[in-house]
Amino acid sequence: MGNGPIRKRNHAAVQWQGKKRSARKRRGFKLLGILDVQNTPCAREALLHGAGGSAVAGLLHFLVTSRVKRSFDVGFAGFMLTTLGSWFYCRLKNAKLRVQQRMVQEGIKNKILYEGTPLDPTNKPRPSGPS
Amino acid sequence: MAYPLQLGLQDATSPVMEELIQFHDHTLMIALLVSTMVFYTILTTVTSKLTNKNMLDSQGIETIWTIAPALILFLIAMPSLRLLYMMDEVNNPHLTVKTIGHQWYWSYEYTDYKNLEFDSYMIPTQDLIPGQFRLLETDHRMVVPTDSPVRMLITADDTIHSWAVPTLGVKMDAIPGRLNQTTFVVSHPGVFYGQCSEICGANHSFMPISVEAIPLIHFEDWSTSMLAKI
Repeated sequence: MGNGPIRKRNHAAVQWQGKKRSARKRRGFKLLGILDVQNTPCAREALLHGAGGSAVAGLLHFLVTSRVKRSFDVGFAGFMLTTLGSWFYCRLKNAKLRVQQRMVQEGIKNKILYEGTPLDPTNKPRPSGPS
Repeated sequence: MAYPLQLGLQDATSPVMEELIQFHDHTLMIALLVSTMVFYTILTTVTSKLTNKNMLDSQGIETIWTIAPALILFLIAMPSLRLLYMMDEVNNPHLTVKTIGHQWYWSYEYTDYKNLEFDSYMIPTQDLIPGQFRLLETDHRMVVPTDSPVRMLITADDTIHSWAVPTLGVKMDAIPGRLNQTTFVVSHPGVFYGQCSEICGANHSFMPISVEAIPLIHFEDWSTSMLAKI
């Protein structure tokens, strides 16, 4: 047991972390110890869709052919395809949203900067005087 | 910042790091699925009772396992190249900071307006106050304004060092006789830590980097106070 000073939390250091306790990331479930399913965007949805697609594909194949092993193979292929498809679709959608979010943020920042100046893009052109 | 037994990347504090994390997740999911498929294939092969000594070729599967990996690599390469070029953009920096690696400390120079220069040594463990981080704190932090592109010019005085701050997605070698440039934007205020990332001698592990990002108005106050102190 050491006799060092008891380390108190430095409030300033905690503040500089930029996170409140309530907003701290949840301890996610790591699939195969690698992929943090809860905190990686689209991962949970992709895996759930994959599981569903796998079950449906495998079951349907079995109902039609009554071949167990081949149905497992079909189910696995369904899992791969559904997971990949759902993943790419979700990531593409998120990427587009992120681009829009950045454009909006830039627009808000510029609006604050240029408000009231001749460069303000919301300034409507004044009608010209009487002819 | 870093925490014990961490496996993944630190949270992003710059737009580039956000994109790096997105790319990492994208590639990891693909790698995970490929690994799962290989594992399943090995499992079915090992547990199969079928043996066919006369199978010589199969055009169908050969075609599939040639085109599919090519497609997967293409889907990884596209975002990778996009990110690679994005990381090289310079984006009209508002501030230029020069950093020089020495054995075993960093020095920073803000020469845009007035000559502000200071050294940044690690705070030894016995001098830490409660709440400070061991092997990460420095006596003088590199202070930058938030939401402003910052240009870093990095070089070294003696041996090769490397200036790295994981949460900003920045790592650049400091090489004597060479000037390397990188830029970053800090999205929100805070203190962000890094460590020298190129072996440079006995105290390579004891020359950390700490970057403090503050709003621009406070940055001007800080630079004034630093000039008065030095």
